[in-house]
Amino acid sequence: MINGSKPVVVGIADMKIISGGKIITYALGSCIGICLYDPKLKLAALVHIMLPLNMETGRKNPLKYADTGIRETLKAMQLKGAMKSRITAKAAGGAKMFEVSGKGSLGNIGQRNIESVHAVLKMEGIRLLAEDVGGSVARTLTFDADTGQAIIQSYGKPVKTI
Amino acid sequence: MAMKVKNYDELSDIEIDTLREIGSIGTGNAATSLSQMLGCEVRITLPEVRIMGYNEAIDWIGGPEAITAGVLVGISGEINGIMLSVQPLEFVNLIMSHMLDKELTSYEQMEDLERSALIEIGNIMISTFINALSGLAGISVELSVPSMTVDMQGAILAVPMAEYGGQTDYLMTIGSNFMINNHKVPCRLLLSPDVRSLNYLLRKLGVEND
Repeated sequence: MINGSKPVVVGIADMKIISGGKIITYALGSCIGICLYDPKLKLAALVHIMLPLNMETGRKNPLKYADTGIRETLKAMQLKGAMKSRITAKAAGGAKMFEVSGKGSLGNIGQRNIESVHAVLKMEGIRLLAEDVGGSVARTLTFDADTGQAIIQSYGKPVKTI
Repeated sequence: MAMKVKNYDELSDIEIDTLREIGSIGTGNAATSLSQMLGCEVRITLPEVRIMGYNEAIDWIGGPEAITAGVLVGISGEINGIMLSVQPLEFVNLIMSHMLDKELTSYEQMEDLERSALIEIGNIMISTFINALSGLAGISVELSVPSMTVDMQGAILAVPMAEYGGQTDYLMTIGSNFMINNHKVPCRLLLSPDVRSLNYLLRKLGVEND
């Protein structure tokens, strides 16, 4: 199949929906990219979250967080006709980019993001078909809405399809 | 008097100027220590204080996927923050040619010796910067052991974003590039304080915060 069109780009704390074609988000470190997919409609959403839980007052930026980001995305997909019971998920990211010890050590945000994504998907009844999470390398995630496949590229590693 | 905590995007011109001055002195001192290590002239370009949205910050550093070396030091004590030394290959090679008489065509050729040299350079520049800052503000801080990675620069820059993402939608960086032997070298030294620490720092520096 010839597909010359460029993938739709999703930024940080951002989400987009496509029907057919490809969608991409770059350089996921501790952040996680969650692909939500309704195979019947070939409707795919990709949300790029940065933190596990939304505790902001006012909640100005729901897509920054795993909990509100996933829920917002599911809602937007349903508005486009997706059925929640058909939606499945694939996820990538949640790495620990730096090993910092001693005083002033950084929280392991990647790990907390992974746990939150799992919990939110479970609560929403969305099946997580595959994931490539954790470790210490950044990932660029592409999702193909025609095939339902997710492609993961990392520096110095072979390309992975899940 | 209750002091309102200002977010990055609410800083006044005088506060920004004060931070730029800190950046200037901090990176100036870092350049001096780099110059001593390399045995050549190192100056800094105009220091910048930037307050950027996440995706704007990624554009500013030159796109998400370019591979770069990053040395990170965590700051704690009276202020909390992250300081990063982002080292593109051009900078790495300048260090390598001066210190180890060696050049790399890619980061994959880096071995333990080269990695230690880069961590050391990053650590010395960061410590010098922070020493200058804590001296000026009269505060005491502790630094973590430096940590290094070679990976996509978007994911490196996302570390301070995520760390303070619960407080703000912006990334603030104070930093500068270097001129080595009159040649502009893209090595960015970036300080990202958390929002409370930023306010504390400005008060310590005697800037009105109203």
